[in-house]
Amino acid sequence: MKIGFIGLGGMGRPMVEHLRAAGHELAVWSRRPVSADFLPPEVPRAAAPVELARQCEIVCTNVTGSADVAGLAAQLIDGLAPDSIHVDFSTIAPSVARAIAARYAERGMHFVDAPVSGGTAGARAKTLAIMWGGREELSARLDPLFACLGKSAVRVGAAGAGQVAKASNQLVMVAAIQAAAEAARLAAASGVDFAKVRQALLGGSAASRVLDLFGGKMQARDFAAGVEARLHHKDFVTTLAEATAQNIPLPVASTVLQQLDVLMAAGWGMDDTSRLLCVLERAGCNDFNERNTT
Amino acid sequence: MNIGFIGLGLMGRPLALHLAKAGHTLHLWARRAASLDPFKDVGAQAHASPAEVAKHADIVFTMVADAPDVREVTLGADGIAAGSRKGLIVVDMSTINPNAAREIGAALEAKGIEFVDAPVSGGEVGAINSTLTIMVGGKPEVFAKVKPLFEKMGKSITLIGGIGAGQVAKACNQILTGVGVMAVAEAFNFAAKNDVDVAKVREALLGGFAYSRILENHGQRMLDRNFKPGFKAWMHQKDLRIVMEEAHRLGLMLPAAAATAQLFNAIVGSGMGEEDSIAALKLLEKLSTPDQ
Repeated sequence: MKIGFIGLGGMGRPMVEHLRAAGHELAVWSRRPVSADFLPPEVPRAAAPVELARQCEIVCTNVTGSADVAGLAAQLIDGLAPDSIHVDFSTIAPSVARAIAARYAERGMHFVDAPVSGGTAGARAKTLAIMWGGREELSARLDPLFACLGKSAVRVGAAGAGQVAKASNQLVMVAAIQAAAEAARLAAASGVDFAKVRQALLGGSAASRVLDLFGGKMQARDFAAGVEARLHHKDFVTTLAEATAQNIPLPVASTVLQQLDVLMAAGWGMDDTSRLLCVLERAGCNDFNERNTT
Repeated sequence: MNIGFIGLGLMGRPLALHLAKAGHTLHLWARRAASLDPFKDVGAQAHASPAEVAKHADIVFTMVADAPDVREVTLGADGIAAGSRKGLIVVDMSTINPNAAREIGAALEAKGIEFVDAPVSGGEVGAINSTLTIMVGGKPEVFAKVKPLFEKMGKSITLIGGIGAGQVAKACNQILTGVGVMAVAEAFNFAAKNDVDVAKVREALLGGFAYSRILENHGQRMLDRNFKPGFKAWMHQKDLRIVMEEAHRLGLMLPAAAATAQLFNAIVGSGMGEEDSIAALKLLEKLSTPDQ
């Protein structure tokens, strides 16, 4: 079974290497040929997405946004054989995933949305959490693939359901980053050492992976990305648009997005989302000692 | 003058009729033929497409739901641009994203067509009584040509700036009215849950710094529990969506508008989208009351 891969960035590259290491036969297409230079010459480079689709039974994509995936799907659909699968690992709007799946279904092929959580570190360490939406009977063909890439793969439901799960993942995680930033801000403004606060909290009911990892980056004031904040901003814009379309209120998410808007305006989009601390520091009193001695 | 009008809904119909009454010849296209019925007695000419309308008109007005609709009737297949003559002016009175207005304006200008965005405030009543507030973006010389027609539709007509500036002003209007309606609803719910006479609170506040037209007019309708539109909640939801799209694009802190937009999602999702925006009061009452 030949697997095609499009999107050889920070996430896609280690995923391709894991698939090769597991013995899968691979072919790739990349917009800029140089992106595929890490692969040995015997790995076929297709001239266009549609060419890749013609030679593969499963095509994986891992690109940026809804428009990128929709653009690729419009090309792949003309090359894919009936019953072949397009697995998209990108984070996009659930409505776009559902629309692509419907177009594929008319022509007898399958679209699976399989967004991941775990970042580039998770991709390298094969510890990604994969949440996918698509026809249940595809499990048999997809599970061996997913097993090479992550430590868990959950079928959430029909096409689009993986993206709903990913949107929920982002809501819970980034709201927690904002809460950690607010805790750090309150500690500093109160003249208390956030490192101690964090250490105490990690032993109690507020303990979380976010408080550990992102709280740790805030404590060290190390704002180099992990996951670039602009990607969280993009995800939140998508999710809030979806909430408006579904007529449901997401008050916390909406407030978090406003903080991300300010983060973007400050020029920190390429930094880590722990920069949310710096957004809070742009308003209000910053120095406890100064405030209490004057 | 030969005037095209596309979008003959609650707002568009009375505005087009004002222009006919002023002696202009109307050229119309409507998706549903029934929309043309009110124009049978005013000598209006029906056409098969927006392109056909453009062929016969010096100025074409559009008043449709949202940016994709404006794009469709102006730049789509058989759209206005497909039938335009040199010097044609397109006046869009819909409420759409300012950036979308700039894009549509630039695409039309590239084809030699002038464009102004002219969203309105004042609702159906304002349209019928020619008392609309009209906020205009475009070139001053184009505005000067359209202004006599605007004067048949509204009483406050302001050129705000270049293309898109009218939509920016309308977005500002919707921030103030959306947040304002929510503030009045919160105050009324606060007073009522404290067992205080809400009418007395309103009366007292009207004399002070909290005076506003929304407290006066919308507040009275809340007291009367008259939730008939007026301005429908789903339209306010749409307008706040536009505001927040721009906030996310430009990196703007609009926390009050952001919170209000979420409450409008809840109003519409709770089945009150066709009611007036003051249904905000019912939402806050429901959320502040124990579940039955």
